[in-house]
Amino acid sequence: MSKHLNNDDFFHKLSDLFESTTHSSIYLTQKRMTYGAEVPNPGSDTKFPDATLPEPTSIVIRASNGENKQGRKEGKKVKLSTIVEADALAGFFAKYADVCKSRMSGLKKRDRSKAKEKLKAKKKKLGAGEVK
Amino acid sequence: MPTLATAPEWLTQSSLLLQARPSTTRITTKYSFPRRPNPLSKSKSKSTPPEPSATPSSKPPPAATLTLKTYDPTSGATLKYQTNKAAEVGRLIQILGRLARPMAGLPGLKEEDIAMLEAPTGGEAGGSGIATPIVEAEKPLGGGAAKGNAPAGGASGKKGKKKGKK
Repeated sequence: MSKHLNNDDFFHKLSDLFESTTHSSIYLTQKRMTYGAEVPNPGSDTKFPDATLPEPTSIVIRASNGENKQGRKEGKKVKLSTIVEADALAGFFAKYADVCKSRMSGLKKRDRSKAKEKLKAKKKKLGAGEVK
Repeated sequence: MPTLATAPEWLTQSSLLLQARPSTTRITTKYSFPRRPNPLSKSKSKSTPPEPSATPSSKPPPAATLTLKTYDPTSGATLKYQTNKAAEVGRLIQILGRLARPMAGLPGLKEEDIAMLEAPTGGEAGGSGIATPIVEAEKPLGGGAAKGNAPAGGASGKKGKKKGKK
């Protein structure tokens, strides 16, 4: 498995990933960092043993372009991951939002122009007709 | 696999799931472009008579979609929300940030109104019945871990400052 990137490198690589992807999908995942940590079984005496931790832990963020085996062979597969400490969450997600907002350009923009202008034009016409 | 209608609804359901299984639940955000039509399947599309209006050549390509999915492998619970509006991205990432707090073992933020971006931090009156016990439970812990990070109130204050700077 590849090593975790630090947060800044992760954002750089993530931006590149968004730029290079034009038709397939990008998967972003977040999860509590439990690797190497002892996770109590849900079936034990306490009902939710993992609900309260002695100390805040970190979370792991992963990004991938979901290429299949064929893509992996051709070297197209991209997998990124980074670990965010509990006290860095707010800053990380602020940056994360910036990256996603600027790079997810395929989504529908809010159409400010056409529909509204048409409506306005209609109203104007109606208004003018009434006056005459 | 329920798909929820609104983002706030997805947030409340997801935070409930996270409260129950904070260490196994994961949240996946899928940003996907629409599938390109398969050039090999032409014969099929011919056999089904297309509607006259269904031949848009000048239409803009369909928008990409953003799908949020909360999944807990131990219980198999899945919650989904899908959108294609660019205007929602900022809000959704903010929600992801909010959900990351219980994931990291921090007490959840207290703001009640999720839909509002500029929710005042003072709006903590009677948090949802589920949120309160966790906050209480984590209070003593907050004291223990205070050297590294600020308690919940301080964190939200930080957020506000950052916004102000921008």
